[in-house]
Amino acid sequence: MDARTRILSRIGHTLKERPKALLPEHPHSPPSANPLDLFLKRLAENGAEGHLLEEERARELIWELSQGHPGATYGRGVPASFRLLPQLPPEEAPLGVSWALFAVAETGTVALSSEDGRKAQLLPPVHLVLVEEGRIYPSLLEALLDLKALPSALGLHSGPSKSADIGQVMVKGVHGPGRLVVAVLQGSW
Amino acid sequence: MQAKAKLYPKEAARLLREKPGVREAVTGATLHFEEGRKKAYGEIDAEALRERAKRVKDHLLTHLDHYLELAEKRLRENGVQVHWAEDPLDAHRILREVAVRHGVKRAVKAKSMLTEELGVNPLLESLGVEVFETDLGEYLIQLLGEPPSHIVGPAIHLALSDIQRLFHQRFGTPLDAPPEALAAVARKVLRDAFLTAELGISGANFLVAETGTLVLMENEGNIRLSTSLPKVHVAFVGIEKLLPRLADLALFLPLTARAATGQRLSTYVSLIQGPAKEGEEGPEEVHVVLVDHGRTALLHDPEAWEVLRCLRCGACLNACPVFRQTGGHPYGYVYSGPIGAVLDPGLLGLEEAYPLPYASTLCGACYEACPVKIPIPKLLLTWRHRAVERGLAPTWEKGAMRVFQMVMENPALYRLFSKALRGLPLPQHLLPLLRAWTEGRGPLKPSPRPFHELWKELEEEDGR
Repeated sequence: MDARTRILSRIGHTLKERPKALLPEHPHSPPSANPLDLFLKRLAENGAEGHLLEEERARELIWELSQGHPGATYGRGVPASFRLLPQLPPEEAPLGVSWALFAVAETGTVALSSEDGRKAQLLPPVHLVLVEEGRIYPSLLEALLDLKALPSALGLHSGPSKSADIGQVMVKGVHGPGRLVVAVLQGSW
Repeated sequence: MQAKAKLYPKEAARLLREKPGVREAVTGATLHFEEGRKKAYGEIDAEALRERAKRVKDHLLTHLDHYLELAEKRLRENGVQVHWAEDPLDAHRILREVAVRHGVKRAVKAKSMLTEELGVNPLLESLGVEVFETDLGEYLIQLLGEPPSHIVGPAIHLALSDIQRLFHQRFGTPLDAPPEALAAVARKVLRDAFLTAELGISGANFLVAETGTLVLMENEGNIRLSTSLPKVHVAFVGIEKLLPRLADLALFLPLTARAATGQRLSTYVSLIQGPAKEGEEGPEEVHVVLVDHGRTALLHDPEAWEVLRCLRCGACLNACPVFRQTGGHPYGYVYSGPIGAVLDPGLLGLEEAYPLPYASTLCGACYEACPVKIPIPKLLLTWRHRAVERGLAPTWEKGAMRVFQMVMENPALYRLFSKALRGLPLPQHLLPLLRAWTEGRGPLKPSPRPFHELWKELEEEDGR
């Protein structure tokens, strides 16, 4: 007998005698008025920066973030109109720009698909995430219930990389970006 | 990891004597975590959510075979290679085969308590693989050659000055380098490791059966990097770590983060479905090793099985006044604090972990903190009861308890004894039962007047 069979048969034997516990239903989501405001508030509380922007202002933000730098690295889903700087390898780029799958207001989270690329989300010291206003879910539950298919790896990012492992002092940008900026794009894309 | 749980009282006393700084560092860190948890629980209906989480976990555990088979099926559909390991030997064989097949020279590791259980690092080192712990705290203790001292904060026993000294010796940084500078040095070393390692190793916070999704929580980004950059990813998952449905994460991710660090959600959560698709960045191969290592035996235990709900958030450690004194090292096994005191006897056998169920004041703070309502105080008593039944408790304890019972049940005897104790300067060095106590504390000083006299006086005052 292999390990799998032995493990499963031991469990089966044990559970035959055990009263079964029922699985609770998911709770009803409370009605939410304005996920955008909550999203921006939570982002700030998480140590990230969030802005609601028109397309032109979002482009200006990219210019501001990239000032003095030779280029940036882009996620695959970033529209050409936002690729203002020459493409650099993610290992060298001072700025990574990603296109989020969705965002969650209650936790101040952007969800990034591996289909967009992962290095641009993790390696540069500054990470700009573009997300459509209509893709902000009020709660994590609503977002997960709505997920039809998962990419090979989905990353939920809720702020800059941080650690308090050295003497309980909070340090940002330990392995990932020390600065997370989210541009919520007005209108539809 | 070699279990040294038997040595708990000796090791705790030695640590307090030789490293008094640990008490300060651990107390500071755990109180900080604990404050965060209380605040975070205060924002939500914590009682209702803990009860819900408990029920989901109980459902999972009472249908574990079904969910394991479902998870395996989904993982395979996602292109993940699934392995089963009953014990560390199985796990080593599986990992060795993967490492050798890919000619692995370097591995980057995400923090994982299960890989500590399995002794993954020594195995890889014996194969000539250079292993980098990539969680900052875990990296620090790897440099020091120490095991983790806390489930979530493996290096909380270290003061800033300890780390400054370590980095001065290893990397030549100034002795007064600030935390940012030290972190920058570690970042540089580890960034190079991420970019050159062929193998990434992780544990899992959860494995969703419905979708076959591996879920990892962290704040630094090292786990996301460890599971994204190397071409092979091996995840070790305890069989109790499953969740039935993807949407259950909406309950468990925030609840775990609140309990562990007081956050609404960890900075990074990775939901991993499998290897990278054509043209995508990410590992070419993903392996999931489903590990038993004592868990099926614990599930079989009609009283102790509830401990398998544990999410490894560390909240009970932070709430525990006993843990605060020494941190995790004296507990002598991977899992320390209140959860270790009830999990280790189940995983190692009570004989190996004997004194751990006594490493508690039974104050109940661990139960209040636990996000899945594990009745830790009740389980501590269960294990203590078994220790007495199996003759593990010292024989003098039985005799002493019998005398104590006799005295407590007989008012005349009680008065006599308490009077005698009050009158004497106690020859404490001669009392073997008290030596261990008095070594670490001031001398016992009986109150000059007995409690029942004081009580009577208070009652009379109230009556007037």
